[in-house]
Amino acid sequence: MLDFLANWVANSLGMATPYALAALGLIIGERAGVLSLTAEGLMLVGALAATAASLVVGDYPIPALLIAMLCASAVSLLFALLVIVLRVNQVIAGLAIVFFCQGLTDLIGTMANWTNRPVGGLAKLPIWPLSDIPIVGHVFFTQDIVIYLTLPIFVLVQFVLTRSHFGLRLRSVGENPEAVDAAGISVPLYRFIAVVSGSALIGLAGAYLSIGVVRMWVQDMTGGRGWIAIALVIFARWRPWWALGGALLFGGVEALVPRIAATGVRLPQYFMLMTPYVATLGVMIWVALDKRTGSDEPGALGLPHVREERR
Amino acid sequence: MLDNTALPPRSAKSPTARGPHLGRLTLEVRQHMPIWQHAAILISLIGLGLAISAAILIFAGVEPSELFQEIILDNFLVRENFLAVLRQTAPLLFVGLAAALAFRVRFWNLGIEGQMIWGGIGATAVSVNHIGPESVRLPLMLVSAVIAGMAWASIALILKLRLRISEIISTLLLNYIAGDYMLHLLYGAWLDPVDSFPHSAQFASYERLPDLSWGISTALLLALVVVGITWWLLRVSRVGLYMKFVHANARMAHAVGIPVVGVTIGAVLLSGALAAAGGFVIATGLEGRLTQGFFRGYGFSGILIAFLAQNDPLVVAGVAFLVALLFDTGRSLQVFYQIPFAMVQLIQAVIVTTVAASEFFIRYRVHWVRRSA
Amino acid sequence: MVVPALALYRVRKAFGAFQALDGADFAVQRGEIHALLGENGAGKSSLMNVAAGLYTPDSGRIEVDGAEVELSGPRAARAHRIGMVHQHFKLVKRFTVAENILLTSSSRRAFKSDLRAVEKKIQHQAEILNFSVQPRNRIDALSVAEQQQAEILKVLIGGAEILILDEPTAVLTDQEARRFLTTVRALAANGAAVVFVTHKLGEVRDFADRVTVMRNGRSVATTDARATPTSELTRLVIGAEVTQPSRLAKVDVGLGRLYVADLRCAREDGHVSLDGASFVVNAGEVYGIAGVSGNGQTELAEALMGVRPALGGSIEVAGVGSLTATGPQRQRAAGMCAIPADRYAYGLAGELSVVENYTIGQVRSGRFGSWFRVDAGAMRAETLKAIQEFDVQGVRSLRQKSALLSGGNAQKLLLARELGQCPRVIVAHSPSRGLDVRACTAVHERLLTARDAGAAVLLISEDLDEILSLSDRIGVIARGRIVAEFKAPADRQLIGNAMVNNA
Repeated sequence: MLDFLANWVANSLGMATPYALAALGLIIGERAGVLSLTAEGLMLVGALAATAASLVVGDYPIPALLIAMLCASAVSLLFALLVIVLRVNQVIAGLAIVFFCQGLTDLIGTMANWTNRPVGGLAKLPIWPLSDIPIVGHVFFTQDIVIYLTLPIFVLVQFVLTRSHFGLRLRSVGENPEAVDAAGISVPLYRFIAVVSGSALIGLAGAYLSIGVVRMWVQDMTGGRGWIAIALVIFARWRPWWALGGALLFGGVEALVPRIAATGVRLPQYFMLMTPYVATLGVMIWVALDKRTGSDEPGALGLPHVREERR
Repeated sequence: MLDNTALPPRSAKSPTARGPHLGRLTLEVRQHMPIWQHAAILISLIGLGLAISAAILIFAGVEPSELFQEIILDNFLVRENFLAVLRQTAPLLFVGLAAALAFRVRFWNLGIEGQMIWGGIGATAVSVNHIGPESVRLPLMLVSAVIAGMAWASIALILKLRLRISEIISTLLLNYIAGDYMLHLLYGAWLDPVDSFPHSAQFASYERLPDLSWGISTALLLALVVVGITWWLLRVSRVGLYMKFVHANARMAHAVGIPVVGVTIGAVLLSGALAAAGGFVIATGLEGRLTQGFFRGYGFSGILIAFLAQNDPLVVAGVAFLVALLFDTGRSLQVFYQIPFAMVQLIQAVIVTTVAASEFFIRYRVHWVRRSA
Repeated sequence: MVVPALALYRVRKAFGAFQALDGADFAVQRGEIHALLGENGAGKSSLMNVAAGLYTPDSGRIEVDGAEVELSGPRAARAHRIGMVHQHFKLVKRFTVAENILLTSSSRRAFKSDLRAVEKKIQHQAEILNFSVQPRNRIDALSVAEQQQAEILKVLIGGAEILILDEPTAVLTDQEARRFLTTVRALAANGAAVVFVTHKLGEVRDFADRVTVMRNGRSVATTDARATPTSELTRLVIGAEVTQPSRLAKVDVGLGRLYVADLRCAREDGHVSLDGASFVVNAGEVYGIAGVSGNGQTELAEALMGVRPALGGSIEVAGVGSLTATGPQRQRAAGMCAIPADRYAYGLAGELSVVENYTIGQVRSGRFGSWFRVDAGAMRAETLKAIQEFDVQGVRSLRQKSALLSGGNAQKLLLARELGQCPRVIVAHSPSRGLDVRACTAVHERLLTARDAGAAVLLISEDLDEILSLSDRIGVIARGRIVAEFKAPADRQLIGNAMVNNA
């Protein structure tokens, strides 16, 4: 029983990481006022790029992850151009980018023959001597580099958002761009930076999915995780630490399902596959019903900024 | 929160290029634009999208000369190919109209694929369980499909109306749930007894949409009738006027006495019904059974069609035909050049992007203002 | 000749076809309070936005202390010690006062220490000016007057010596305005140059040393504020003699038509801003509700329109019954019509045509065709008639978007729709906000005509002059209740006291 729990928690961390990183990346962009529906697509780009890098160059984790982040940021530039400069409707642009990425990754993956080819992936790095502690050491201190980095990344982002000049300005751009504009702060610039840097994290989330969890590239492998991450941001009320908590919850659910099946309990297979989506709907309903706690929803989320000159 | 309600146009100033000595870029809202200019911008940007797509295709190994000749022209000149395109148009018409109706009331129905799936399931349920005499089997299957689709669409609708949950995420999640349920059926109770593949047993002859003379399928006829009805609804009837107001400013519509909730419910349920009818048409018209993945690509295609057609039913018909052409071309590319069907999705995304970008040039005029003493 | 602190020469600025500034001049000295007077649309805010670096002029010259400067943006203006307090505050509601001011500073040292430094500066300045606002207050917890204090602190800490105040008293009670004046006088005495943008003639005399009048984008005259008679100022502002619409001796007031009893409503954030309002509006009278904004007026108007549910209390129309829990459809069926404060939120659909906006009110009742077919021809004919009758100008084609109409004409279109059906009850919320004098007069005349035809007119306005000139009875709203009632002609002082004593 203890073994079961330990293994389950250890796996949960891995399953939670893509959700956590993607949600954090989305939060950065949304705190600046840009509603990004691109997560599903950018994760795919990151996933393919990381696998491709591993296949072409070799199983070096850091270059693969960096290349994935770079590719996702590059695609996000297109999105940023559309919604910030050309002021395209953010929903349409987001959907277009997702389908663009889905088509592009399918295409490139097939034509370059990168699909369904296993890679070594990320190695588990035990932190000695902590990893020798019974149970706890296996669960928390024998993980891969991305899992280790997730917590520091969260700390860093939270610090920058709340205790730096840059973070203050970024948040103000998301709350009231008119006020900020009158102060001489460039709204488009901050939004650009927010979108691109947030997208790097989303790309990292996708990369982890391919070389950390599944260890290969499969068509459409994100399977809706991007959309779930978007719901997670709403659930987390745009607060990074809450997003981490939610991600752990989802990771736990995802890690639990195959484990229960493995114990021999008979469960309808396809209903089990539905669990993450049903769980997400459940969470969204819970959030909608629960009006108690306040929300950090940025005041100007989703609205394109146009400097007004009234007639 | 997730809705870009229409803002009254105001002048805008681009904070980009700050040339301190020469001048600066300024944006200005256009007050009015002659139709021809509007069309010209739209066409030139679609052209750009097509050019980019052609470039991608050439990069993927397609011969430029063959691109136009064999792949596009062929579809018009060779009878079988043309009929195939028409056949493909029918379900695209349904999903295009479904998307257009929902968008008209600012409901982002991204669950078209899920509603199609339930349309297929509803129709197949009637077939597998032999409900009703043979003479009315097909209409019964249609009714069942439509009811199933409407019910599925109503879930997201209720979540939005009662709990203000964004339909963007909820409809997408419901797609995955519907897909998994269909797999559950296809791998389980509805597994084909004949060949043990995960598709349903083949439909009997009276359970399939017949072809009319000249090889045109009934499905297309059905679709065209629906186009007519939708056109009447949106352009002629009172409901269409109400929908215009709901789209332009739902708060104002409510304040003026328009039954906003009623109009929204009607439009979304109708949208679900049409998407389900699209699923019905594919199952009974094209495939002859319920198959895995029959719905792939239709969701985004529906959105693309509605977006390009600006939610106008007659234009939807035209655009659906063009998308059918694209689908068919995609299949040829797959056969002749081993280019995956994903190329079609990519081309669709490119075109949506360029058309979306065209809005910018239609709405704003870019100035270069000189600094003068 | 003393060099002016700020001077603008021959400034021109166009927005598309609209020439907002047509060679405007302006100059202000250090130590003076200079009013910039003009009606809505005359160009005063535009001119000051140029001075604050928010607009780039098409041509013209700006000089600070005699030296020509180029203002490429708000930061440049700040560098030249120009600071502007806008009519609509540019504050981030979720942040504290200190955080808002920190946004505008250009220091980039350690965040925490910068924040502490700003907090100290705020504390210091607030003491000097006798402000009540604290650095750690969140903006959304402050009253409007305190928010304005925060804005003033923002520009002062930013180093402004040339202060531009855009319609600052629009959101203040008379008493708060007097306190504000003391502050402004202190600042001017300290050597600042203060510009005071306003469209109210009364304020010019009370507040300013000199006044520059603007009209149609040009500066018409600059004179001594106290020495110039009001009639002369009016003539300069409007360009002609103005005749006040003659108010006929009132027709007999009828019986009670609209009964509001103990009405309670909450805002989006849950705050119960309308807290037991009770009043009666009789047929054939104008009942004006006076009060500074934020005391529940918006919620009252929305509840009466039927778009905001009431938490308690009742709304009744004589002869029809209770309308409390019903929606807009029933309000309209009962003969109620509304002119909302923000016409593009509840009044007009900007993207839709003039025809559609005008006729939509009556489509439901079957006036323009049936469910099967809407009678477009009849719609166009009716709209044409209405446009002529209500003098809606600028309509090039019936099919053009209504957002292209100017503010005054859009309001006239709205009035045409709402008043055209001879309603029994009219709810008008700030009906002349943002309109120039001509449009304003037209709106007022329409309301009086409707009153004379027997309608019960409820006028909610933050503009006390409007209330005083139109109302037969006046109710003062404070903290969500009607706290005092007066009959016309009412004493402005008493009304002001009622507003203040119950704040």
